[in-house]
Amino acid sequence: MSDTILEIENAVGGYGKMTILNGTSFAVRQGAITTVIGPNGAGKSTVFKAIFGLLKLREGRILFAGRDVTGWSQRQLIEAGMCYVPQGRNIFPELSVRHNIELGAVAAGRSITDMPARIERALDRFPALRAKATRQASTLSGGEQKQLEIVRGLLLDPKLVLIDEPSIGLSPLLVQETFAILKELRAKGVTVLMIEQNARSALEISDYGIVLELGQTRMVDTAARILADPRIGQLFLGGALEPAS
Amino acid sequence: MANLLNLLISGLATGAIYALVAIGFTLLWQTSQTINFAQGEFVMMPAFFILAALHAGVPFWLSIIFGVLISLLLLGLVFKKALVDPMLKHGVLPIAIATMALSIGMKESVKEFFTAEAEPFPSLIPAGNVNIFGVEVSLQSIGVLVLAIVAVTALNLLLNRTSVGHQMQAAAQNPTVARIIGVPVERMILYTFLINAGLVALASVLITPIYLAKFSSGEVLGLAAFIAAIVGGFNQVRGAIVGGLLLGVIDNLGAAYISTQYRGAIPLFLLIVVILFRPQGLLGRAEERTV
Repeated sequence: MSDTILEIENAVGGYGKMTILNGTSFAVRQGAITTVIGPNGAGKSTVFKAIFGLLKLREGRILFAGRDVTGWSQRQLIEAGMCYVPQGRNIFPELSVRHNIELGAVAAGRSITDMPARIERALDRFPALRAKATRQASTLSGGEQKQLEIVRGLLLDPKLVLIDEPSIGLSPLLVQETFAILKELRAKGVTVLMIEQNARSALEISDYGIVLELGQTRMVDTAARILADPRIGQLFLGGALEPAS
Repeated sequence: MANLLNLLISGLATGAIYALVAIGFTLLWQTSQTINFAQGEFVMMPAFFILAALHAGVPFWLSIIFGVLISLLLLGLVFKKALVDPMLKHGVLPIAIATMALSIGMKESVKEFFTAEAEPFPSLIPAGNVNIFGVEVSLQSIGVLVLAIVAVTALNLLLNRTSVGHQMQAAAQNPTVARIIGVPVERMILYTFLINAGLVALASVLITPIYLAKFSSGEVLGLAAFIAAIVGGFNQVRGAIVGGLLLGVIDNLGAAYISTQYRGAIPLFLLIVVILFRPQGLLGRAEERTV
């Protein structure tokens, strides 16, 4: 498939003796939003860590943009155009907001010359961050912190954004804002691979969905079809899609 | 009044040296959870590296450069690679114990292979007094203070105004995320070890002319710096500065106005008060840590 940007082939791995990924395989289409759903312990976050080289696979490989990137360092993956926004708070609380953002360019070294302009553009897009640019990042609200993480991740124009539970701890309004940012990215041709507990809302803005269970791929389909599948509804979407409702 | 000003300035000078050593403490703690109980000996050693070069007939300035380079190598790079890296996997306590062993090893080695006597050590700063507002103040104290301020200012500029400094802070504040965005965390940790080695070498050059070079001279200094770091706040560079200066001044004033006999007890008293009422230190922030 020429429009595939990321491929996970038969990934096996876990923590210590515990195996979480049990032959996980799926492909991610370029320029689309794909959401990974599944019950707790299905290996969603673990597969992200494996893709980003934070978990050593016992078997299987990761292909990114046609290259085998299994075992690459984070720096190499960033240079290749990957970006990872993990779950929770991922800021440096005692550095200023601006310095936090600037650190997103570290992996590029001196090869990018228009970094100040890029940071200005990012701050233009997120006025809340500009207003607090010189303050410590710990003063940001939860939603602003997520924005900061996304801005920082986008500084190097990644091809693929891995984002784990972007809506966790955010108000419904902020969730919509965060999803709007992801849609903007897609409009620019960036591929988004997302994990979301809030599966229904996430699938509504997604093109494709992947269902993981017990470290294996149960289903890969368009988001619309997954949303419409009654079994999935019962299993993962809190029964909201049962025919009776 | 003249006496008070003199005591203040010499207290600040001593305190500035405590601060240099305490800053190193806090840097190592922040970036790699290393509590270096050999920090006092780290200040004692560079003086002997320099003395070794001097005894071999090397000129003073070259000896200092040699001493600093050897310190960076042994107290920075080798310390990290040979002791901290292998021990860190096993937790904070094994590292603490290993550094205690290192401190004994360093003292005994100097005693065994160099000398057990106190050796005089040449000063960078000329002897004499300067007149400040009609008060004669020792040039030595002023010089120590100025050099310490220059070093701390340079360190602050590095940490807060350069990309490498931000990366070092990022590596200390959140190493997992730092790695994820491509900060070379391991290299940043190495830099803090080198900075610590540089700071103790500077402290050594500044304090040894006053207290002479002796294998045991690190004991008091290590304890003072440790107390300074805790009083100021173990996780803040500025805490270490405040703690160091405060301790130096209190030490000097206490000896003059309260009792010379209780000189050693006064810093400990300060430590107890701070631990009782503000355990995170004057400027520190409370750390959550599961034990």
